Amino acid sequence: MQLVLLGDSGVGKSCIVLRFVRGQFDATSKVTVGASFLSQTIALQDSTTVKFEIWDTAGQERYSALAPLYYRGAGVAVIVYDITSPESFKKAQYWVKELQKHGSPDIVMALVGNKADLHEKREVPTEDGMELAEKNGMFFIETSAKTADNINQLFEEIGKRLPRPTPPS
Amino acid sequence: MLLSLVSKRSLEVDSRDAYGFALRPQHVQRYQEYVSIYTEEETERAEKWQNFLDRQESVAEPCSSEEEFQDTFQADGSDSGEESASEEDSRNEKQDSGSSKLDGLEVQHLEKDSNETVGELSKEKEVAEEAHVLDEHQILRETSLGEKSESVKDEAEQSDTDKEKESSVESESDEEKQSQPVKEAIDLNHVEIQQENETEEPVPEAEKCGVDDEKTQKETKSRSVIEWAHIRPCLKSIEAMMCSRVKNVKYMQNKQQTIAGDHASSLASIEESEQNSMENDRDSETFTSRSHSIKEEHDAQSNVSPEPFFPWYEELEVLVRLGVPKDLRGEVWQAFVGVKARRVERYYQDLLAQITDSDESSSDVQRKWKKQIEKDIPRTFPGHPALNENGRDSLRRILLAYACHNPSVGYCQAMNFFAGLLLLLMPEENAFWTLVGIIDDYFDGYYTEEMIESQVDQLVFEELMRERFPKLVNHLDYLGVQVAWISGPWFLSIFVNIIPWECVLRMWDVLLFEGNRVVLFRTAFALMELYGPAIVATQDAGDAITSLQSLASSTFDSSQLVLTACMGYISTNEARLEELRKIHRPAVLEIVEERIQKGRVWKDKKGLASKLYSFKHEGSILDEQKPPQRTDGENPDDDESRSPNFSMNLDGANVDSEVDSLPDLQEQVVWMKVELCRLLEEKRSAVMRAEELEIALMEMVKEDNRLELSAKIEQLEKEVRELKQVLSDKKEQETAMLQVLMKVEQDQKLTEDARISAEQDAAAQRYAAHVLQEKNEKLVTQLAQMEKKLVTAETTLEATLQYESGQNKALSSPRFPRPAPESPKKKTGFLSFGLGWRDRNKAKQPEESNSINTSNATSEVKSPSKESKTEDLLNPETRR
Repeated sequence: MQLVLLGDSGVGKSCIVLRFVRGQFDATSKVTVGASFLSQTIALQDSTTVKFEIWDTAGQERYSALAPLYYRGAGVAVIVYDITSPESFKKAQYWVKELQKHGSPDIVMALVGNKADLHEKREVPTEDGMELAEKNGMFFIETSAKTADNINQLFEEIGKRLPRPTPPS
Repeated sequence: MLLSLVSKRSLEVDSRDAYGFALRPQHVQRYQEYVSIYTEEETERAEKWQNFLDRQESVAEPCSSEEEFQDTFQADGSDSGEESASEEDSRNEKQDSGSSKLDGLEVQHLEKDSNETVGELSKEKEVAEEAHVLDEHQILRETSLGEKSESVKDEAEQSDTDKEKESSVESESDEEKQSQPVKEAIDLNHVEIQQENETEEPVPEAEKCGVDDEKTQKETKSRSVIEWAHIRPCLKSIEAMMCSRVKNVKYMQNKQQTIAGDHASSLASIEESEQNSMENDRDSETFTSRSHSIKEEHDAQSNVSPEPFFPWYEELEVLVRLGVPKDLRGEVWQAFVGVKARRVERYYQDLLAQITDSDESSSDVQRKWKKQIEKDIPRTFPGHPALNENGRDSLRRILLAYACHNPSVGYCQAMNFFAGLLLLLMPEENAFWTLVGIIDDYFDGYYTEEMIESQVDQLVFEELMRERFPKLVNHLDYLGVQVAWISGPWFLSIFVNIIPWECVLRMWDVLLFEGNRVVLFRTAFALMELYGPAIVATQDAGDAITSLQSLASSTFDSSQLVLTACMGYISTNEARLEELRKIHRPAVLEIVEERIQKGRVWKDKKGLASKLYSFKHEGSILDEQKPPQRTDGENPDDDESRSPNFSMNLDGANVDSEVDSLPDLQEQVVWMKVELCRLLEEKRSAVMRAEELEIALMEMVKEDNRLELSAKIEQLEKEVRELKQVLSDKKEQETAMLQVLMKVEQDQKLTEDARISAEQDAAAQRYAAHVLQEKNEKLVTQLAQMEKKLVTAETTLEATLQYESGQNKALSSPRFPRPAPESPKKKTGFLSFGLGWRDRNKAKQPEESNSINTSNATSEVKSPSKESKTEDLLNPETRR
């Protein structure tokens, strides 16, 4: 199942993937140029497995010109924002719209508020995220790649929401 | 230049490579294996380059050691005392040993920790190098950014390593330093450094203060940053050649900057002349060599393509492909990019000043870049020992300055890596100009807002891939993997972080030498060639991409990669690429335009293709899972392993029909079966191919339709636009008309008003006329009355007269003859009036005749008037 991560620069897309795939967290990770790829297989409760082929895209605005290349064929889009940055939340809204317009119609979308560990610096209320997700039929979760909070849950939940008939490759 | 900050020992501790970059844990082992190979190669190429440069120097540019010295000193502003001493020593040494020898390789070494003596391990390599360098001194051209906590200690090394200890024992002592006579030889005009203790060069210092406001606090402490350094003279001829290809660019740049740079350039010229005079004083030979190089440059400039002019071009090309020696790399790169030709004196400082000045007034876009740069700086080679706080400040300055320099690019992620890499190899300003050369020239249009050239290159690359690796691309298509997914990041990052550093640097050597992006394509092909077979064996998209990524990142054999790239794909040249780019560019431009105009998304035909493929395959995978999936058997092993299975199946099917055949023909039968098998396979692959072609056809048809439709849409939209235009024009006209109408109406109103007032006037006049009429009538009636009265009066008069005459007759009749003839006249209406008038006249006449008499006596001139007067006076009577 092809999954694409979208979101503003520095919200922690790469960190989420690294946490999910390798179980690591590096506070000083590298800037992603273009996109990077990782894959991970998870087992669901009904003993089926899902293999996520994750495209982690570059966050800077101009790289969004290349994003369609990656999300066009994707079955899942995870839109990430940083709960300490209202700007990144705006960017998330932009991505939601973009995907509704140009993504595949039955794409599964998830909205992720990352850096939940920095709750004392929070600037985007959970309700805002929930509202945006609800309006657009998305799945919403707040995660922390640093503490690994909700990272696995995120992918498990996505796995559950995938349309059944598509077998893991 | 920051690389020189890195202690080699520290590198080996925490799994970093020789350049200070982190190694992935899984690669540490392999890296260790290759380290010795790298060292060997390094030694070899150092020798070759040495050889080459020696010859260059003796042939093309006899260069005195003096000048060389001067240049090395230029790179050396912040050296501490023992350094200067060592330089002096080496200088003397040099003069002793004859100046013809060249010490092209300056081994740079720096220990961060002053307590730390030079590690044996880290020295090994240098010692090896020293063996080749006949006459070397070790110079620190380091940017001792002099933080208190981290007192960077310079250490110079003489050819005899005995001195090492000595010099390390010596601590920085500024007094000593200033007393060094060598000091005078340091040309500070070029090296814009700032040293607190120095007062000899107030001008650059003052300038610097202005530039680096932000760093004022730090400047109170010893701060000395080498921002600019010339490359060593032995590379001058290379530099001259490479500069000749940027001449035009530079000319344009100069033109653009004349306004900003006027002041600066005048300063620069002063400095230059000062420098020249100093040189002349010291050594006239220097001057001649300089003019020689200038002349050469000039010659090169007049030649359109520099290559044929330089007989050693090909030799250099080979050398570059074998790699540039580590210690020369920074300078060679600058020579290749033509930094000397690009540089505009003080331009960089001006940019920096602009940045600090315009902190508040900067535009939104600039603030956005700044924010992004801030975000990315800690994420650029995180943990690299050289990119400490000062290194990051340099990085920030370069990126901000570049964004300021070229707003059409501004800042694009990936540039942080390039700037960081360059900073490791050269001083800050040199790194800036090299970056300018790379981004403005080599990658023009690549990192702009729309990244057009990057997208074009991806289409070109995919086409070439299909041409060169049809099986591989077919397989990727089959897996639903787009080539651009993988190659996009490769090209955008110029392989930084994609392949091991040794390869990156070797690839960059070639890239910067060739001055175009051809080597990107070639390297990508080489990687595909190396790892294509492994990818063809994968059975799903994820595995294919993962394996390609991990294989690429473990390509430690840099020579294999670079040589495969450069030798194996000669037909992929700039001309061909340009041709293909021209073909693909319109598509990208169209899409970009669409995106801008309608906010639509990038939909290229490849996307359509992959969708179709995946659609097709999703359906067919299940059906076709049993038979071999691949169309044309890229992997011979796989084919062989499948063939027996196939023949077994056939065995089962064919046995019945073949039971009664002769046993001696059994062998033949087996052969036939194998043949049949092969044929079947071929047939199947042909069928598959046909299917593919069909799909392609469908695709093309759809594409056609789509194109047609989009063309139609465009046309319609155009029409709509036109109509809208017309409509708006009409509306404008309407409003204009309305305005005119309003005006007319107003005018009308005015005239109406005027008419009304005129009418009123007329009425008033009529009324007046009426009144006059009435008056007239009254008067007439009065007149009539008067006449009547007159008549009565006349009659009474007559009666009276008659009565009187009667009386007179009665008295004496001849005394009154006159009244009788007068009486008929009196019958007219005006008689009474006339009588009155006549009476008056009668009274006048005697008066006038008196005056006539008097006037006649004086002059006769008055007589006509008198006559007329009398006439006038008489006239009423005649009229009557």
